[in-house]
Amino acid sequence: MTAGDGCGAPAGGVSTPADVGNQAVVQGHVTHDGAAVATGYARLLNSGGDFVAEVPLGEDGGFRFFAAPGTWTVRVLAPGGLSGEKSVSADIGKLTTADLTL
Amino acid sequence: MSRSDVLVDAAWVEAHQGDPNVVLVEVDEDTSAYDKGHIRNAIKLDWKKDLQDPVRRDFVDKAGFEALLSDRGIGNDDTVVLYGGNNNWFAAYAYWYFRLYGHRNVKLLDGGRKKWELDSRELVEDVPQRAKTSYTASEQDSSIRAHRDEVVAAIGVKNLVDVRSPDEFTGKLLAPAHLPQESAQRPGHIPSARNIPWAKSANEDGTFKSDDDLRALYGGAGVDFSKDTIAYCRIGERSAHTWFALHELLGQANVKNYDGSWTEYGSLVGVPIELGEAK
Repeated sequence: MTAGDGCGAPAGGVSTPADVGNQAVVQGHVTHDGAAVATGYARLLNSGGDFVAEVPLGEDGGFRFFAAPGTWTVRVLAPGGLSGEKSVSADIGKLTTADLTL
Repeated sequence: MSRSDVLVDAAWVEAHQGDPNVVLVEVDEDTSAYDKGHIRNAIKLDWKKDLQDPVRRDFVDKAGFEALLSDRGIGNDDTVVLYGGNNNWFAAYAYWYFRLYGHRNVKLLDGGRKKWELDSRELVEDVPQRAKTSYTASEQDSSIRAHRDEVVAAIGVKNLVDVRSPDEFTGKLLAPAHLPQESAQRPGHIPSARNIPWAKSANEDGTFKSDDDLRALYGGAGVDFSKDTIAYCRIGERSAHTWFALHELLGQANVKNYDGSWTEYGSLVGVPIELGEAK
């Protein structure tokens, strides 16, 4: 039986983490010299380079965005003038990882 | 009013840290950042718990605002300096809100919490104690707040400035990408609106661009400075940031913030909506 049979089976199945659902998630961790960067900001830019969202990094250097299908750039700013960026491709129901080392 | 009357930098804050008539206030949607560390002597305001009515979708009323400021130890003659995360979105919202209730002396810390952190400045966990006051607010200043009927009537007449990201404007996203994509019933934008994302008014460190750059940004994107303007976003906090740029920095008269914004407009029955690029 597939999710398309209409009997209530969750789309994506059990292998999809529950918190992804129908979202296009881009997440990752930021490190510098082997340690998590706990103070800093991750910015999500669209394919045209326009700002879409920004979050502070977590204690573990982590960040998460709920994007849309397409290509995105994650840009990170941290104290001491540190920065870095990475381009990723996101899709609905998929968790895309974008780890960065500054 | 000049830029220095409404916008201060870190040096100004540090020079006034012992001044009992200057009240630093960190404002955020999620105040856990304050609890982990804030600028010395700053108190906190919770955008939702403190500034929004707990039942209706609206602000706390005049009496509620008076009770809040009295309890936090803010007096009518104090200079209030606001800052926060999210590039000062909620601090700008609080600035607009303080102006709405007639507070005379209020300023924003340019760059907010982000620039302070990126510059590795001191953050402390000590929570200051301020003596209670007896605050008196004014009636809401309706000249800076837009409601839905006025917004519908402004289509094709006034400048409508949609400050959300291009992907929210065109309908690709329903909310900023740091939030789950749940929001209004319908995506899109108000017909005749120009999309001038708030982020274009700020540098990467969260500080505002120069007045010349701001004037070129809004003028170049189709804002007619001879007309009245209404700014909106999703819930009115990013558009408060743009209201600040237009009304406080550039000194434009007749600029209103539509705090109902897309979460209200995009759920209204029967109003016109446009998808895709601005027409």
